[in-house]
This record gives sequence, C-alpha cells and structure tokens, in this order.
Amino acid sequence: MSVRDRGRAVLERLVGASATERILISTAALVLSILVGAVLVLIAGRMTTCTANEAVYYFGTGFCYDPIVVFDRLFLGALGDPFSGGWSPDGQFSVTLRETTLLLFTGLSVALAFRAGIFNIGTQGQMVVGALATALGVLWVSPLVSGVVGTVLLVPFGIVVGAVFGGLYGAIPGLLKAYADANEVITTIMLNFIATGVALYLVSGAFKDPESAANQTVPLPEYAQFPTVLFGGRQDFSLIALAFGILAIGGLYYLLEHTAFGYDVRTSGIQPDAAEYGGVDAARTIVASLTLSGALGGIAGAMYVMMVLGTFQTGFPDYGFDGITVSILAGNNPLGVGIAALLFGVLKSGTTVVQFATDVPPQLVGVLRGLIILFVAMPEFFRLIGKRVTDAGSKPVATDGGRPGGEDDE
Amino acid sequence: MDRRTFVKATGVAGIAGLAGCTGGGPSDGDGGDNSGDSSGDSGGDSSGDSGSDETTTESGSGDPAANIGMVYATGGLGDGSFNDQAQQGALQAEEELGISFNEAQPDEVAEFSTFQQQFAQSTDPNYDLVCTIGFLQADALTENAEEYPDQNFMLVDSVVDAPNVDNYVFAEHEGSYLGGLMASLLTTQDFSAGAGSTDTESTSLGFVGGVESDLIRKFEAGFVAGAEAGNSDVEVSTNYVGDFNDPAGGREAATAMYNDGADIVYHAAGNTGAGVFQAAQEEGRFAIGVDRDQSLTQESYADVILASMVKRVDTAVYGAIESVVEDDFEGGDTIELGLDQDGVALVYGDQIGSEVPDDVADEVATAREDIIAGDIDVPTSPQ
Repeated sequence: MSVRDRGRAVLERLVGASATERILISTAALVLSILVGAVLVLIAGRMTTCTANEAVYYFGTGFCYDPIVVFDRLFLGALGDPFSGGWSPDGQFSVTLRETTLLLFTGLSVALAFRAGIFNIGTQGQMVVGALATALGVLWVSPLVSGVVGTVLLVPFGIVVGAVFGGLYGAIPGLLKAYADANEVITTIMLNFIATGVALYLVSGAFKDPESAANQTVPLPEYAQFPTVLFGGRQDFSLIALAFGILAIGGLYYLLEHTAFGYDVRTSGIQPDAAEYGGVDAARTIVASLTLSGALGGIAGAMYVMMVLGTFQTGFPDYGFDGITVSILAGNNPLGVGIAALLFGVLKSGTTVVQFATDVPPQLVGVLRGLIILFVAMPEFFRLIGKRVTDAGSKPVATDGGRPGGEDDE
Repeated sequence: MDRRTFVKATGVAGIAGLAGCTGGGPSDGDGGDNSGDSSGDSGGDSSGDSGSDETTTESGSGDPAANIGMVYATGGLGDGSFNDQAQQGALQAEEELGISFNEAQPDEVAEFSTFQQQFAQSTDPNYDLVCTIGFLQADALTENAEEYPDQNFMLVDSVVDAPNVDNYVFAEHEGSYLGGLMASLLTTQDFSAGAGSTDTESTSLGFVGGVESDLIRKFEAGFVAGAEAGNSDVEVSTNYVGDFNDPAGGREAATAMYNDGADIVYHAAGNTGAGVFQAAQEEGRFAIGVDRDQSLTQESYADVILASMVKRVDTAVYGAIESVVEDDFEGGDTIELGLDQDGVALVYGDQIGSEVPDDVADEVATAREDIIAGDIDVPTSPQ
C-alpha cells in the first residue's frame, strides 16, 4: 500500500467517523496537546533559574515550572476551581463566561460569512464601529430615561444601534464585492484600519471624556449597562448577555438550515455558479450575508461596551480576529461556535490565572494555548480536506487513467 | 543561583507533592501553590519550613518584609522602557528591603480589573501593596479600591481619589523641555559625535509619539517648548505612529523627519522608539530616548542616542514599597515627581553624551534649576 493510498484511507476513515468517534478524537487531541505542552513546560523550566524550594522534581530532576500546576490553573482555575470547595460564581468563572459571550458573537459573525463563501476578516472593524456607535448612541439618549425602565429600554437599544452600524460597516465590503468585484479579504482588512483610525480620531477629539486621561468616551450611567443577574457583577459579566448569545446561536442555526435565505447562503458558499444558475441572486446574497455578519460583529462591540467597560476606549481587544479561529475550530457551524467559544473563553481566562499563580511567562502560556487550539482543530481540518479529496477521488477520472484510485505519478 | 548549583544543592528533595511541593518555603511568596494549601505541607523541604499553616503571617527566617503585587501596563515586560522601569523598582526593593513580589502582565484593558482583584483577594500570601502601572488602570482601580477598602494600592501616571490609593504622577513635560532645549541648541550648530552629525543647513527637530493621548502630548508639549526656548527658529515636526509596539512604523516616521532635515528626533513611543533609533543610525543623525537610559538598554544604538528623558517609575514603585515596609503608607496622596525629586531627568547618552558641548550642557543645567525654582513654566499640552 503506497503512502498516498494509506493517506487517503486515513482521510476516508476520518470523513466516515461517527459523532461519538469525533468527540473521542477531539478529546484525544486535547489530551495529546496537554502532554506535548507539559513537555514544553518542563523543558522551559530547565532553561530558567529559580531557587531550590521553588522547584519541582520529576524523575529525580528539578524543574522550575510545574506542568501539572500550569494545566490545573489553566482549566480548573478558569472554571473557578469547582473541585476544591468554595466555588463562587462570582469568581474567575464569570470572567470565562464573559469572554465566551464576546467570542460567541464574533465567532458567529465570521461563521456566517464563511458559510456564504466569504472570508470576513473585518469582524474586528465592524465590532469597533458597532461599539463606538453604541457608546455614543446610548450616551446620547440615556438622559431621557432612568432606573429599571432605562435598563429595559437602553440595553436593547444599544444592541440595535451596535448591530445597525456594524451591519452598515459590513455592507461596505459586501457592496464592493458584489458590484465592483473587489476581493473582500483586502477590503475588510483595510476597513479594519479605517475603523480603528477613525475611532481613535473621534474618541481622542470630539467625543473624548474630559475627566479621563485615556482616549475614551464619557462612561455610560449604571442603568444603561447590562444588569447583573444572579452572579458576575464584580467581573463585568451578565447572564442576560450570555442568554442572548445562546439565542443568537439558535437563531443563526435556524436561519442557515431552515430558511430560504439560509439555503441561498449555503449554496452560494459551496458552489456560487451553480447557486446563481439555480436562481440565487448572488450579489444580494453577498451583501446580505456580509451585512448580517457585520451586525453580529457590531453586537459583540455593543456587548463589550455595555457589559465590560461601560465606555468605548481605544485599543479594542482582538475579539474579531479571535472570532476567525473560533469559527474555524467550529467548522463554521453555529452550534459548534458555542463550544469553540467556551474553549477559547476558558483558555483566555485561564491564562490570567496561570500568570497570577505561577512564574511561567505569559508567552509560554500563549504557546500552550496555541498548541491546544492547533491540536483540536487539526482533525476537523483534515476531515474538511478529506471530504473534498475523497469525494473527487471516489470516481474514476480521465487523467488518472480512468482507474479507481488513480495512478501513482509521484 | 544558577540552575546547576540548585539542582546539586537540593539533592533528594523528593517528588512527594506533585502539584504543590513549592508550598511554604522560606523565600517563596509567589502564591503559586494553591493546591498545596489543601494538602498541607506536601513538599520535601527541609528545615526552616513553617508548615503551610495557611496563616498569612509566615514564620521562618527568610520571610519577605512585604508581599507586593505588580500589575503592569499592557505591552508587558521587555518593552525596554516603561514596564521594565517599573519592574526595576520592584527588583531593587526585593534586594534592598527583602520584599517578595509577584507580577501580572495584562494583555488588554479588561484584564486590569481581573488582576487587581486577584491580588486583592489573595490570602496566601496576603499582598501588602498592589502596584498598578499605567493610566489605563485608573478606571478599574476606582472600582476595586472601593471594593477592597483594606487593600493598599499605588497607581502610576494617573490619580484615583481613594483613601487606600497612593498616586504617583510625573512631570514628563519638564524633562522633555530639557531634551528639547538641548536638541534645539545642537541643531543650530555644527556637531558630530558617534555615528551622527547635524545638518548645518536646516534647523529642525522631530517628535515621534506612540498613541496620541494627554499623557504623550505632555512629552510633546515639553519638547516643543524647550526647542522654542533654545532658538525660536527651530521647527519641530510631530508624528503619532498610533502604536507603542510598532518599530517599523517608528522607523518610517523618523526616516521621513530626517529626510526633511531634522537633526534630532525625540520619541515617547515605547518599543516603537527602537525604529526611531534605527532610522537615526541609517541616516547618520541623532535621537533622544525616553523612560530609561536607552543608550544602555538599547546598546546597539548607543552611537546615536544623545540623551534620554528618564522617567523614574522605579523610584515611584520603590518609594511606595518602602512606605509599606516601614508602615507609613498613608493612602489618598498624590505624589508628583518632577525634576526636583529626580522623578524625571535628562540623562546624557552613555557613549556619545559626553561629547555634547559644555555650553549646551550648562544651559540645560541652568534651565533645570530655573524650572525647579519656578522661573520657567513648561506647558503640559501642545499649543
């Protein structure tokens, strides 16, 4: 059996894997990445110096960093130490859920565009625009209402403002692609810079909070921010936002799988020419899906403003770019985005716990994070490739001499 | 102590506590042993161990005088300027005062609050002081200072009005004024040193900032005012790169200025400044460093760094730690560190600083005295 055949057999096996098998594969990948990471931590621990009683000993050799502590902190720490007693929902767990909520929206934003065959790198910019619009819009109308009524009115209003402006900003590359044939990868990347630059200009000038040294807008009043439900107030987390995110997952799933529009989006993504032949208005689908994608990005920005900071501040975190990874990890499936966002949220919040609890440098923790994501994403990645390869290869092709499996021409 | 010696010295300390054997050691104050708490003393440490009783006041000869938490500005350690300078203060305190410190390097603004809380909540060890570095931490600290009234904080570069927070702000404009004055006096004369020389034809200077904000504008304002004071014909061109960690952008901005005839470029741009030095070297011109003596920290560019506007964040950190160790931390104070307190200073470059003509150096020294005496009023924002 040649290497090529064997490779193909593995791919076919992957493609044919059942749901249980896929979960097992992912779990095995996770365990493997932790083992590789542990070795890295040990090696790094040999290459640094520490005092004798800070060291740990394995196999009779001293190491400066303890991989068990590192991974314990990374995962259990992020979950707020559920096994050690004294678990409080107000602790680190809230931070994890907060990050999850934000990544959920940016992940959905990227996933939706992906499904339409559009690579939206501009979620970051759409998020910044949405966030700024929310911060200014809500601030503008907030004197009109107050108290509980204010919260009930202003929070949905803020989300709508964020979605509208994020959506409009997403429509720009959509229009450019649909009617001017401009590559969306280029335009969205450039629009990211424009969004950041213009936001900085506005926030350091006209809309700057005169009270603060930072480049930020005037903070929103307390009643214009997401209310704390049950827990998480101290960590700027609101269950309502998470519930809203879960609703968005369900909504997007329904939209993609069970509506005519979703069918248009999916067919355009798989085979645009065929879709158009089948009666799909290609230009409209491109604009609509990028607008929706931008709207989801804008909502992420609105959440960040109304839940986390309470103001728009320059130097926006990279949730938009992380959203790309979340989406790929989830195979661009809205339901998968929820799980991928949670994994990302755990890793992100766990990183701060590791930093606090150990001497391991944050760069090394970043490597561990990357390893985990890479290992977990790879089986799915090969499955996607396998789908294409095995589909094409299952039928005899003329250039292969017409024989199944083809000739080994390498 | 190097690695080899410690491995030999410790010998068979055992692998008893896989997860928590760092617990309770005399010089260990890093809080990295959460799992060690519950399992008691699992470590194989020898004598002098207090046994991890979960008391906050550990006994034993090597106990730190105080436990300090450091929350750095985004950008983290290794920036060669601001954060590294803050760490310097903590390292100095570790050595001289016998304190122990633990550090956190947030990536983004939302993490400031998380780390501040983690330090404030920690009971093992109990942090006597949490140093928060950078003005972006002010908002998070306003909330947390109220939330944890028993925790002492110190803040660099901004002011939070709370009874448990000591604030340290710097007169960056004063130090920058001296830099501007020196540069202005040099650009109008024929001067060469190290790898650079001035262009006698033109009398212009440059300022490269990181991200535009009130704080960085203070540097600019001082520099421009100083340049004006030296010679009213001198022009200063300004550029904000928009990033504190973009050496390529800094290089572009500075190259444009040098090509335009600027002889000396001053930067207040963190790591972006490395690009400014690079450009200076390529063009055979000069640069002025910031925050630390960059002719020492960026040694490869020492032949173009005339001077550095040093901002002694380390003095602030050390001072706050010292006050905690000596039990006279008051809280609610705002300490302004200017030229007078050596909080900011113009430090001549290690390699070529000595070649600055005496009359220029004298004039700069006089201006320093005048500012301290209040005879010169340096603006804090550009006109």
